[in-house]
Amino acid sequence: MGGMLAAGLTAGGPAFGAGQEPALPRRGGRIRVAGMSSSTADTLDPAKGALSTDYARHYMFYSGLTRYRADLSAEPALAETLESDDRILWRAVLRTGVTFHDGKPLSPQDVVYSLMRHQDPATASKVRTIADQFRRVTVSGSNEVTIELTGPNADLPAILADSHFLIVQDGTADFRQAIGTGPYRCISFQPGIATIAARNENYWVEGRPYLDGIELLGIPDEVSRVNALLSGDVHLVNAVNPRSARRIEASLGHRVLETKSGLYTNLIMRQDALPTRDPDFVLAMKFLFNRELVRRTLYRNYATIANDQPIPPGSPYYLADLPQRPYDPDRAGFHLRKAGLAGARLPVYASPAADGSVDMASMLQEFAAQAGLHLAVNRVPADGYWSTHWMKHPLGFGNTNPRPTADMLFSLFYKSDAPWNESGWRNEQFDQLLLAARGERDEARRRQMYGDMQVLVHDHCGVGIPVFISSLDGYDQRLKGLGSIPIGGLMGYSFAEHVWWEG
Amino acid sequence: MTPTVPLREESMVKPASTAASRVRHWLSGLSTSGRVGLALVVLWLVLGAAGPLLAPYDVGAFVSPEVFDGMSAQHWLGSDYLGRDVLSRLLSGAQYTVGLALASALLASATGAGLALTATVCPRWVDEVISRFMDTLISIPSKVFALVLVAAFGSSLTLLLLIAAATYTPGAFRIARALAINLNQMDYVQVAYARGEGRLYIATAEIMPNMIHPVLADFGLRFVFIVLLLSGLSFLGLGVQPPNADLGSLVRENISGLGDGALAILAPAMAIATLTIGVNLLIDALPGRGRRITGGR
Amino acid sequence: MAHGSPRNRSGIAAAGRLILRRLGSALLTLLLVSLVVFTISALLPGDAAEETLGQSATPEAVAALRHQMGLDQPAHLRYVRWLGGMIKGDPGQSLVANMPVGQVIAGRLPNSLTLAGLTAAVAIPLALAIGLLSALYRDTGLDRALNLMTLGMVAVPEFLVATIAVLVFSVTLRWLPSITVVREGIGWAEMLRGYAMPVMTLACVTVAQMARMTRAAVIDQLSRPYVEMALLKGLSPSRVVLVHVLPNAVAPIVNAMALSLSYLLGGAVIVETIFNYPGIASLMVNAVTSRDMPLLQACAMIFCVAYLLLMLAADVCAILANPRLRGQ
Repeated sequence: MGGMLAAGLTAGGPAFGAGQEPALPRRGGRIRVAGMSSSTADTLDPAKGALSTDYARHYMFYSGLTRYRADLSAEPALAETLESDDRILWRAVLRTGVTFHDGKPLSPQDVVYSLMRHQDPATASKVRTIADQFRRVTVSGSNEVTIELTGPNADLPAILADSHFLIVQDGTADFRQAIGTGPYRCISFQPGIATIAARNENYWVEGRPYLDGIELLGIPDEVSRVNALLSGDVHLVNAVNPRSARRIEASLGHRVLETKSGLYTNLIMRQDALPTRDPDFVLAMKFLFNRELVRRTLYRNYATIANDQPIPPGSPYYLADLPQRPYDPDRAGFHLRKAGLAGARLPVYASPAADGSVDMASMLQEFAAQAGLHLAVNRVPADGYWSTHWMKHPLGFGNTNPRPTADMLFSLFYKSDAPWNESGWRNEQFDQLLLAARGERDEARRRQMYGDMQVLVHDHCGVGIPVFISSLDGYDQRLKGLGSIPIGGLMGYSFAEHVWWEG
Repeated sequence: MTPTVPLREESMVKPASTAASRVRHWLSGLSTSGRVGLALVVLWLVLGAAGPLLAPYDVGAFVSPEVFDGMSAQHWLGSDYLGRDVLSRLLSGAQYTVGLALASALLASATGAGLALTATVCPRWVDEVISRFMDTLISIPSKVFALVLVAAFGSSLTLLLLIAAATYTPGAFRIARALAINLNQMDYVQVAYARGEGRLYIATAEIMPNMIHPVLADFGLRFVFIVLLLSGLSFLGLGVQPPNADLGSLVRENISGLGDGALAILAPAMAIATLTIGVNLLIDALPGRGRRITGGR
Repeated sequence: MAHGSPRNRSGIAAAGRLILRRLGSALLTLLLVSLVVFTISALLPGDAAEETLGQSATPEAVAALRHQMGLDQPAHLRYVRWLGGMIKGDPGQSLVANMPVGQVIAGRLPNSLTLAGLTAAVAIPLALAIGLLSALYRDTGLDRALNLMTLGMVAVPEFLVATIAVLVFSVTLRWLPSITVVREGIGWAEMLRGYAMPVMTLACVTVAQMARMTRAAVIDQLSRPYVEMALLKGLSPSRVVLVHVLPNAVAPIVNAMALSLSYLLGGAVIVETIFNYPGIASLMVNAVTSRDMPLLQACAMIFCVAYLLLMLAADVCAILANPRLRGQ
């Protein structure tokens, strides 16, 4: 065995520091939590999880091989170790003594089934594109599973912490019940209405979880959700609109928790359509983003200014010395004239489906008009947006959730043959760098490569990213233990096993 | 041409009429609340027509560094959730609400009355077909209907107009049909049939003139309903395209300012209220309103 | 104007004839509704498979899911199959909810009916009282005050009324819950607290229309000669109104009420959204946005049946109350 690679699974690491006093957790109490989504599509199948409330529900009932730390690196969960020499062949040794809610012990076969079912079209998995890199997953011991990838990927531990890869029982096809190994058992589940959970007394982490029970609701209307928090009807909500944050902070018993994340809403300029493929047009649009205004008015400062590349400042590979692109109507006008587009009219598509895009489009329209470009905002309904509008118009908006690693983000959204290469951007140099970085063992050189990729995206890609949007949770102050995991709100959706109630 | 031009200026707010004395006579017949209603209606018609010209700022301009700002000399009604001028947005938005509601109510009432007349004078099966079709239309919840159509065709003014009209045509049809069937039994109409008059003649010359008052009153109510429907649709995210907004959308987009009592939400809400109350008061004061209920005798 | 029993019997016979005749046209209307819903839903961009996969859709995944949902079959075949199922009383399987449509509806319909029923129980007596009072005290200060009050109720968009109510009664005063949680085994007091604001909001929307119709219908009757006769005979005004005027004014009033009540089911979508109430109107919106056609059709059928039933009930009421309408 050659030099063993640090494969991400090390003990220790940063804690979820979010200004919580180090108090001793208390057992007991029930809370009600409201997520932002609720519909008949609500599911107990981790593979089908589509929205934040789904993820939160799945983390209550199931556990993964790994889980996220506060910096999005992975730590052991159901897998005691997950190691590889070549980043292709990974061995996972499973924790012993773990049982499912129905009393059956966790077996390697459960893991094989849970990972490989994503490749079955009938599963309708949301992460099939990612799961396609599992060439083989096999039982390699009474307590051990071997995962063979199609190519080297150092990020496997982080990938497996994702809610879609949570472990279900071997052979499960009917998800009307949730039999997992997670901190809570499912008492009742009504899609579009509510999920009721009770503590799993046999949870594999000693002493956890703390609460007796959780009722998880979805309140899609943001104003109603915040009002429910302030009136004491629920104790934790996610996806708080920055405009409501002041109301929550003004309330005596409530607080807002800001999680700076890599979430962004971006302008898409298709590289296979005119006039958006013109490099001068792309630059002009990027100069037309009044990022300061977006951050201040639209997000009430609960956002971080972005620089037209998708790696957020919290990432270890963030290129801090890339000069910030300013709002510069003069240079935008210059590029527009150079592209021969002064006085042109163009439609831009926006939708509530992409958070804040309608208002961003309005802002862009206003400033573009000053630079001599007339944008007509087309607001289209949220339903049908991803299938019929997203990436289908020369000029439109997209929205990208945080991904745990730079590789995942670039592979899914920026590589030439990426499934969601939003702008249809093709850059050979970028593709080569991305592949090289996956296999690169020297951390400094890897960092350099990711830096170069950020420069390429910033300079050339047909995607404009004005800000990174913070995710805001509102909570009752009697709820303790809540922190940030920047994969999303509600402590990276996994609040259930961390929080306790002092009421 | 005439020296009465300055006088005309003064009476411009009254409905266009060549005989000022007739207008004056009609006005003197109105009750106080009717006059208040008329004043409000005329005010909103004028604002609907001239609002964009009166707006101090561009509708999409970001003019205030503060969001949900209060009254100030620069911004009489403060600023909205993005720091735009509320007064300008209100003045520009009035045209959509007033214009759309007016056009759709006209379309709904005219279609409803036309179909009702057709159903009345034509053979029974025509009535049956139209009635079943109207039942179909009315039994689909209007907001879902709107949601589906906007999803299918994209939001546009024409589509909103058609949706609102389609939603309220069945109601207009029901009322007009009840009136027309009643009138159809009247002696003078039966006499006209006996004379051998054509159906078109009977419908337009004998029946229609006698149901015009209640249909007009009904038209006013449709107008109010449509204003409220449009504001309901704005809650579901359907409405005119940004940066423009109708009055309902203005209320909706600023709803997070409600807790602070922001003018950005109170002003458009007041606008909707005064518009609908004004129309209702005016209808109430119109003569011959009671007939609408049982059909003209 | 006396109401003897033979007259009642003829009323029941007339109502029976009406019900039979309506049954036929009701089936026709239902068929029309399903056709319209089917046609316009075919125009919608995207289908259930694409909506389910959302942003993560890839062509292969969509194709596989389409096959699984049966969406790869021609549209008219799917419609015929659905219709066949409906005739046998089976509304099919929900495309996205992983359970039969019947089960999804069963979880929601009782909630909608409860909300509509409670609202009707509040709104109808209130509207009748307001309407009668303003008719009896026509053109007095009371009439004008009641008129302005009812107008004011509808003049504000209902989402604003509901939001203001929540701010006042839930957030500030903490008297009432801001969301209506439906659960078995909750007590009456808890239930009434939960329903107070949704019912109030919906009542606001519906009372005005019914009250104004009542007022107009009663005033219309009051101006008729028989009322004067009855008063001259020495009957008390309240008796005249209750015994003579109301039965004659019933037809337009119940008609207006039936229309308003049909709004309580389908139009409650905003109230359901704001109070997070799991009713059938928001379910239908949900069915549209997720492109769940069997569920959408089932909801449309329910609204259509409800509307037709209410219209029928209104006509039957009118016939039973007013002998003059029986000839039709």
